Parts: sequence; C-alpha cells; structure tokens
Amino acid sequence: MKMTKTHLPKKFHSAVVKWQQTFLPDYDFLLDNWDKHFPRDRSFELCAFRELGICGEIECGDAKGQPKVTRAAELHPEQAGHLLGAIRAQASTEFGSIQQHQLTLARAQSEEEQFWILRMMAEELRHGYQMLHLLLEDDWTAVSDATGEEIVEETLSMRTGSHILGAFNIDFDSFVDNAVFCALIDRVGKYQLAMQKVSAYKPMAESMPQMLREEAFHLAAGVVPLRRWMEQAATGSPYVTASDIQKAINKWYPRGLEMFGDERGGGTNVRYGLKPMKNQEAQDQYIVEVEKLVRDLNMRFIRARLPKLDLKQADKLLDEILADRGSVQGIAWEELVHLPDRAFFRRRGVPAFELVGWDGESLDDLADYLEHLQKHLPDAYRAGRDFQNYVEQARKLAAGEITLRDAVSAMPELRRVGGVCPCSKSVRWVADDAPATAATTACPAAATRPPHRAPAR
Amino acid sequence: MSQTTADVRIRPLEDTDLGEITALDEKIAGSYRPEVWERRVAYYFRRDPDACLVAEADGRVVGFMFGDLRSGEFGLEEPTGWIEVMAVDPELRGQAVGRSLAESLMEHFRSSGAVAVRTMVDADSSGIEGFFVSLGFAPATLRPFVKRL
Repeated sequence: MKMTKTHLPKKFHSAVVKWQQTFLPDYDFLLDNWDKHFPRDRSFELCAFRELGICGEIECGDAKGQPKVTRAAELHPEQAGHLLGAIRAQASTEFGSIQQHQLTLARAQSEEEQFWILRMMAEELRHGYQMLHLLLEDDWTAVSDATGEEIVEETLSMRTGSHILGAFNIDFDSFVDNAVFCALIDRVGKYQLAMQKVSAYKPMAESMPQMLREEAFHLAAGVVPLRRWMEQAATGSPYVTASDIQKAINKWYPRGLEMFGDERGGGTNVRYGLKPMKNQEAQDQYIVEVEKLVRDLNMRFIRARLPKLDLKQADKLLDEILADRGSVQGIAWEELVHLPDRAFFRRRGVPAFELVGWDGESLDDLADYLEHLQKHLPDAYRAGRDFQNYVEQARKLAAGEITLRDAVSAMPELRRVGGVCPCSKSVRWVADDAPATAATTACPAAATRPPHRAPAR
Repeated sequence: MSQTTADVRIRPLEDTDLGEITALDEKIAGSYRPEVWERRVAYYFRRDPDACLVAEADGRVVGFMFGDLRSGEFGLEEPTGWIEVMAVDPELRGQAVGRSLAESLMEHFRSSGAVAVRTMVDADSSGIEGFFVSLGFAPATLRPFVKRL
C-alpha cells in the first residue's frame, strides 16, 4: 500500500483554508487538542492522497478488462459528463456535511463524542479537498463550460439549502442529528466510495481507499453514541430517548435511500464502468445493513433494561417483541427503534410523493398523510424549511398544479439566497495571491456570529 | 479477502459488527462489556481499519483480529505489524479460523511495508502461544516489564 500526497495549488489551498475558517472554526482547536483525544493516531493533514497499485483494468461495464483511463479526455463525452457530475456531487456532500455538523456540534453532552465528530468534520474537509484535487488535476472543458476555478468557487459557495443532494440541505436540530447522520447518511457515503473505488477513471479509484478508511470511523462516530444512548434510555435517562432516536431515523433514512438515486437507474454508470452496482441493488444492501444496526441498538436496550438476561435470552426476547409488536417482560415494541418502510416520506425515486406511511400503509388523503408525518418526524424538523418545502410541493401536486416531475425536481433546490449569504456576490473563495492562512472572516454574515467558543465544555 | 473453508470468509470489520464482537467476547470471557468494545472498535477504526478483520460463517462473526502498523516504539525503527486483539468462537476452534485471520492480517502488514509482525502472549496461555508458534512466530528478545502503581 503506497500513497502519494498532494496539495492543491496555493490559491485553491488558500480558498479551502478560508472556507474552513468560516465553516469549521473549531479546526485549530481540534489540532491543538489532537494528542489529548487521539494520542497515538497520526496527525491530521489537509491534503489529497492517491493510493498506488490499485487494479489497472476497468472492472465493470462495456469496457471491462481494458486499461483504466487517467484523463477525462480519454472518456466518451457523455461518460466524462457523468463522472464530472459524480465528483461535483461528492465534493458538495463533503463540504455540506461540515456545515450541518457545525450547527449542533457544541451541544454534545460528551466531550469524547464531540471530538469524534469534530475529527470527522476535519476528515470530511480533507475528502472535499480530495475531490477538488480531481477537479483541478484534469481538464473538464470538453464536458463543462466552467473552468476548474469556477467549479471550485461554485462548490465552496454552496450552503445548506443549495447543495446537490437533498440530505445535505437539511439543518441539524440537535446532537442526535450529528450521530444519526453519521450512522445513516455517512453509511450511504461509504457505499458510494466503495463503488467509486472501481471507477474506470483511475484518479477517482485511487482517491477512494484512504477516504474509505476514514469513513469507517465516521460511521462508528455515529453508531457508538447511538448505542450508548439506547443503553441510557433503557435505564430511564432523561436525555436522549429511544423516541428521539426513532424520529431522527425517520427524518434521515428516507433521504439516505434517495442518495442512491432513482431505484430504476444506475445502469448507465455501470455500463460506463464508473460503479459496479445499479441504484436499487446498492440500496437493497444498504437496507440490510441498517436493519442490522437497528437490531443491534435494540439488543443494547434490552441488555441494559434486563441485565440478567444472557445473549440468547435477549435475542429471543427481541424476536418475540418484534413478532407480536407487543410487550414482553416489560419492554414494549414502542420503546425500541425500528426502520420505517422504504417508501415512507420519499420525495425522489419510485415512491416519490406517494402517501406511504411509516409502516408501509397507503393513505388516501394528503391531510391525513401530513398528520401522520407530524406524528413521526421531529418537531424541530417540521418547523424548518426543508419540511415546509416538502409540504408545499405535496400540496401543489395533490391540487394538480404541478406534475410529479416538477415536484421531484423542485425538492432539492432550496437555495436560500443563491450563495453563501446575502452578500454572496461579493464573496470569492478563490482569490489570486491569497495569503496561505487567511485570518480575516470571509463574509460579513459570518463575522456577526457570536464569538467562537471552543466546542468542549 | 481470502476464503478459508467453504463456510468461513475473512473480511474487514464493519461498525455493525460491534454487537457480534461483544457477543463473541462475552462467550469467551463470560462477561458482557459493550462499552469496552465500542471504545476499542472506534480506536482501531481511527488507526488502521484495514488491520481490523473478522471471520464470518453463516452470516455471523466467528472470529476477529485487530492490529496496527507502527514503527519507532521500543527502539524498533522498522515498520512492524502488531497483532493486538483476537478471538475465535470456541465452537470453531481447530478449523483454521485464527490462522486465516492471521494470514490475511499479515498480508496486509506486508503490503503496507511491514518487515516484521509482533504480538505479546500471556505466559499462562499456552494455547495461544502454540497458535502463534504454528504460524512461524518465535520468542523475541524484547521482554515486557511491568510495575504496579
């Protein structure tokens, strides 16, 4: 396993540093405290890694067995267009998730879990940097009118509400979202990275291994707090309840499923050798994995509530509760967490805007459906823009004012003001001769934030 | 990842294996310690997830081996793979599960540039010592010392 390490040209590196200072202000705090929380781990570096010695032949699709390409110009224009779209989307998700995590990072009750998330955010920054590296290393002008600089500028200008994928346009409401997002949305990210690891475009394939290694911890940074909360919930903790976790699952799981793309699609990417699985196949595997996670969380709950049970007894008890949806030995089905139906609260893909309930039941009337959603989604989420947009589109669709296609395509475009802030037209992330460590705040809106407080309590 | 027998396969550890890792430890050690494994798994994921392997049979985890590649410790400048944690389901012992895990992990260390693999075995664990000897390990001159505080 050999890797190369690269830094972006100075003005682009500086642009990312400037972005980090605005959206990840705790970065320096993390590095200053790295040895306290991660004493034996390698230090963090903002750079792009490429792994050498990966498979040199295209692993799937029409050109299977032929050498992987090293330049976009060697691809068919349509193929290169798909690839460029994937890189831009990946970059958007990496930067987007940092903006989301930052919203509630300071609310963590555990310093350890907070630093796990903070480290994860820094690594997502590196992943975004890695994607910018791919955009800048090659010439994409055959498939895009935008220059590399313009693509970087556009990517760094996105905010929650203007990112490419829906899951990255939703505000976090509490630290529960930080954990559930890692457990569910980063898990989709893992699938995407694993699929892109076989990409016919060698620079993409070479970028994936290190990102995947880091992603393993990102999932754990979500799953471990969830397990701990389930244990605490079982013993009457007043903090995070199983119901809180359930509602957060209901909020994020539908968006995670949609990140795989329309269930009917994905064949083009497979034919082009960019991914080895169609959307539905990958989504099916994801669901199986999340079902395992949910069962694991419930086992944690049962073992904590009934510590005298051994593993087999707890396993049997869980099966009994799930089978009858009743109450066994004082543990009710409602006290545990469950996955909603895959068609629940969907706005993209096959079941988009179908009135499918949490349990897979069909509802006939939109008003009833919205009442149903009210019961299953977190209060704070329902008070936000994302849900408001969903409801507006659903109402227009039900009234026949728009087509399903309109509703589906309208959903992710939740642009607040078209850029980073009301002054976005004057904010440029990429600047010639920018200082390597820009100390000034990039936008006036950011400058009006309360003075930074370290995330640790 | 390598295939050991028709029924057992070696693959990287996943976060969703946490419950089964805990269960396997409970089966062997007799105590339920989820918090220990949550912290340990998070630790190993941070350091070198490729050096965290599980053996799976019939869809369940029947063994695991976690390690790490390091250099510069105890005067050992050479890149060294360390095998630090392992377990095999007692019901499957003697079926080369541990050997398959170790061979896969050593292959990872080798491809990562390690020139040696090290581990430490309790002097009372003759079974584990025999296991490593069968893999070609020999006692090293580096001896552990301890002082209780």
